[in-house]
Amino acid sequence: SALAMSSAATTPPSVDKVDGFSRKSVRKAKQKRSQSSSQFRSQGKPIELTPLPLLKDVSAQEQPELFLKKLQQCCAVFDFMDTLSDLKMKEYKRSTLNELVDYVTVSRGYLTEQAYPEVVKMVSYNIFRTLPPSDSNEFDPEEDEPTLEASWPHLQLVYEFFIRFLESQEFQPSIAKKYIDQKFVLQLLELFDSEDPRERDYLKTVLHRIYGKFLGLRAFIRKQINNIFLRFVYETEHFNGVAELLEILGSIINGFALPLKAEHKQFLVKVLIPLHTVRSLSLFHAQLAYCIVQFLEKDPALTEPVIRGLLKFWPKTCSQKEVMFLGELEEILDVIEPTQFVKIQEPLFKQISKCVSSPHFQVAERALYYWNNEYIMSLIEENSNVILPIMFTSLYRISKEHWNPAIVALVYNVLKAFMEMNSTLFDELTSTYKSDRQREKKKEKEREELWKRLEDLELKRSLQSDGIIPT
Amino acid sequence: MEAIKLMKELKSNLDQEVHYLPKETGLSLIESTQENGNGVSAKCRDARVEDLWSLTSFFGYSTQTFVLAVNLLDRFIAMMKVQPRYLACISIGCLHIAARVTKEECKVSSSHELIRISQCKFTVSDLSRMEKIILEKLNFQLKAVTALTFLHLYHAIALSHTSNRKDVLNLDKLEAQLKACLCRIVFSKAKPSVLALSLLMLEIEALQSVDLLEIAQRIQTHLKISKADLVHWRGLVGQCMREYSSPECAKPDHKKLVWIVSRRTAQNLHSIYRSIPDLPTIPEDTWDESESQALISTENHLDFSFSL
Repeated sequence: SALAMSSAATTPPSVDKVDGFSRKSVRKAKQKRSQSSSQFRSQGKPIELTPLPLLKDVSAQEQPELFLKKLQQCCAVFDFMDTLSDLKMKEYKRSTLNELVDYVTVSRGYLTEQAYPEVVKMVSYNIFRTLPPSDSNEFDPEEDEPTLEASWPHLQLVYEFFIRFLESQEFQPSIAKKYIDQKFVLQLLELFDSEDPRERDYLKTVLHRIYGKFLGLRAFIRKQINNIFLRFVYETEHFNGVAELLEILGSIINGFALPLKAEHKQFLVKVLIPLHTVRSLSLFHAQLAYCIVQFLEKDPALTEPVIRGLLKFWPKTCSQKEVMFLGELEEILDVIEPTQFVKIQEPLFKQISKCVSSPHFQVAERALYYWNNEYIMSLIEENSNVILPIMFTSLYRISKEHWNPAIVALVYNVLKAFMEMNSTLFDELTSTYKSDRQREKKKEKEREELWKRLEDLELKRSLQSDGIIPT
Repeated sequence: MEAIKLMKELKSNLDQEVHYLPKETGLSLIESTQENGNGVSAKCRDARVEDLWSLTSFFGYSTQTFVLAVNLLDRFIAMMKVQPRYLACISIGCLHIAARVTKEECKVSSSHELIRISQCKFTVSDLSRMEKIILEKLNFQLKAVTALTFLHLYHAIALSHTSNRKDVLNLDKLEAQLKACLCRIVFSKAKPSVLALSLLMLEIEALQSVDLLEIAQRIQTHLKISKADLVHWRGLVGQCMREYSSPECAKPDHKKLVWIVSRRTAQNLHSIYRSIPDLPTIPEDTWDESESQALISTENHLDFSFSL
């Protein structure tokens, strides 16, 4: 029986071929911003909310209760994918939310103990939801436009409200922690996978404030982020909120007490370094690099494992990533202590030596530019007798062989710097290089001659066997 | 008989060398010229020659090319009063001429490439006009007898005399040392035969070879080089060599090299600190400000069993 061949029929896209490679962004240029939501209208009757008076229009004693009522009303969730339904009620909820945002910002004495659970409930009802699936199976976060959340007109105000609530002077974590608990945090973290960058931006602020105020939740939050990253790196390579989580981590790392706890060092080595291997690194590289450098400023002794980790995961087939790694490495070298530098200079410059000889000119260029960094130059000068021999052969070779004239010009700058740094060593290396080359050429010539002699011999033999020349 | 032939060659070169010496008064004038004064100063000339040294190394030219270029340069600036701003063009011109005269094994780089790599501001036509002027003023006397000529001869003589394998002079090393010396204008005043012999004797001293010393002394006698001259130049060369091999790196004090990178790379050079997160730092192990205030103000029972 015939095998069922179920291959998804793919129509070859008509693409521009740039340098022989198709550009996805060109393919999808006509894509417009799409919206999605998972809040769908249930089959029941339309939502009816009885309009309540404005908070400013009632007396101070009545306000707390009215506040609660409004919160309860805002628990009603509307379907924004159906653009025509419940327009009046949607507007009412929007203006109520707006009012609540202002109220929480300016008011005093409004926050009773009863308010806490109602606030958390309202926020939960609105924001906690299963995120809608991505429109296209091949959503490429680097190239494609994200799908936005359709209910953003309400959602934004809910987030805004929640943040002001958390930041309010009257806010008491000791009461709130009954309602903002591990379950809440877990659901919050799941939302970081939202495709909508505006939502992720708010979530970032929310989680940052929660981490700051709830000491009892900190370990849990760190553990969960740990898990998210590990799953991201080793299982799915899909998660939209990596950059935002890293930003939060940056502010946490910045505040680490010294000496660093073992847990944090583990995190650096087991989670942050492996994060560099992910394909979509460009989306969060700046934040990741920031975290790394912060760690090293806290504890310089971590420099060696960090750099060895980066060298271990050095990109082998993606030049764009190589350029990113070189950028990050330069930032690390900018803050490195001379004693740490000496420990890793050999493997480090072996890799840099490979980079400067890369046929990809951007990689070569970025690596050569290290020599324009004053601090790095001073470190190289102090250790030129180790570094120069490592770099010399590639530099000298590419000065003759590289296809890109701009690279050749940069190599001159680097060689000149080395010449001035350590003339004797430079001259020694030059003469060794030249004599090695001569020996190689001689060997090649000998080999060619050997082949020629073999050819002649073979020719003679065949002529003899054909009886053309006497044996 | 090889040795006799070499000795004869030595003699004939000795007779020739005086024709290729830069005018001494000219050199002295340069030595006494102040920085930023009128005319070329010693520092200015030395910096240019160092650039030529870098370019020679970069393009893989032979020592012969470099030494000849320096010779042409010194002869030219010792006879003509030149303005410092033309010195770059003159020195590159000399290098270009020298490379063509030496018939470099590797391809002689085009004027365009020379100018591009050395990051000079003049044009190709400027360079060729300058080269014409140099050739005219020097009367096309380009097959100069230099210290390198003598160095090669001395080396050949030493080689033909010593049977002892161990006492072999390293010619590459001597050439490198000569290049280092030529970067100082003072050595342009020395007779090439004497300069080369000074270098030779210093190296022999380092090798502590009695045989080689004897050979060197015989050369000295043969060429009738005065002891006073030799002592004088040996001293200067010795000092130069100490600086050359010192582990202290010489920081260049003339113009900084230009680093031109492509637009894409330049865009990505920004520091990550430009994208610093706008989230305030959260100190570990402590409450943040508002938290501690809430603690103080509240009467509630607090749970102290937090884990961090």
